[in-house]
Amino acid sequence: MLNIDCPWCGKRHETEFRYGGEAHIARPEDPAMLDDTDWAAFLFMRKNTKGYFAERWLHSHGCRRWFNVIRHTVTHEIVGAYKMGEKPPKLPKPAGGAK
Amino acid sequence: MAKNSPWITPAAAIARDFPAGLTELSPRAQVNLRGILDESSFMTAVKTATGIDLPITPNKVATGKDHKALWLSPDEWLLIGEGEADALVHRLENALTGQHVAINDVSANRTIFELSGPHGHHVLMKSSEFDFHPRVFAPGDCVQTLIAKSQAIVEQVGEDAFHIYVRSSFSRYVGAWLAEALAEYGAPA
Repeated sequence: MLNIDCPWCGKRHETEFRYGGEAHIARPEDPAMLDDTDWAAFLFMRKNTKGYFAERWLHSHGCRRWFNVIRHTVTHEIVGAYKMGEKPPKLPKPAGGAK
Repeated sequence: MAKNSPWITPAAAIARDFPAGLTELSPRAQVNLRGILDESSFMTAVKTATGIDLPITPNKVATGKDHKALWLSPDEWLLIGEGEADALVHRLENALTGQHVAINDVSANRTIFELSGPHGHHVLMKSSEFDFHPRVFAPGDCVQTLIAKSQAIVEQVGEDAFHIYVRSSFSRYVGAWLAEALAEYGAPA
């Protein structure tokens, strides 16, 4: 089980949170101008990263804020959590070829 | 209490048989307040209306003369006091006229349990994954977490006393859970 560091409430157990998928996906400025391929790419296409991954979490049973977490998808190591709009923390050197 | 007194929570059906150390409190005025912290006029107006400096530090409680304010999120607080919420709502509405705020009477949203005695924090520890050890959680702290898988606000009101705010529809379940959790410690002296 993960201990996730909510930027407001501090370290809490994973059961208080809800997962929100890949972070930093910007909604297109003008969706009506996109063709189906580009719209589908925005809606459905996500990275399947092996290694450090920026993802969104919601502290759903606590302060109900969305924030970002950098988590290693293999080891579950959490590098850090940061608020929406903040810069991500520096990543450690990838180990064992995982990138 | 006129408005709330005929209103019975689901927990009331079992509250009579609660062991010593657990009680269901009578309904209180609960008002949910949202506003923009960065606007100094917001804090000043709330101070004027309630006499409380809203807590800015997460999961802290600020106490005024008639009410207290629990930090719920960076722009949200729960104000609690005795009696009816109407007077408090009106006072806040008057003080905050024209500001970007939300003031809602949520008195019926949550049932309040009081857990007291030497085993209060043991009961919480085994009911939740949050660390209720006195080293971490002290009087004046509040936390929103899961108590027996049900969302709850827990506030430590004294050295050995906790208030647990649970959704009224979950109150019978959580009440039964807490009563059961207290059983292994026997009746406190």
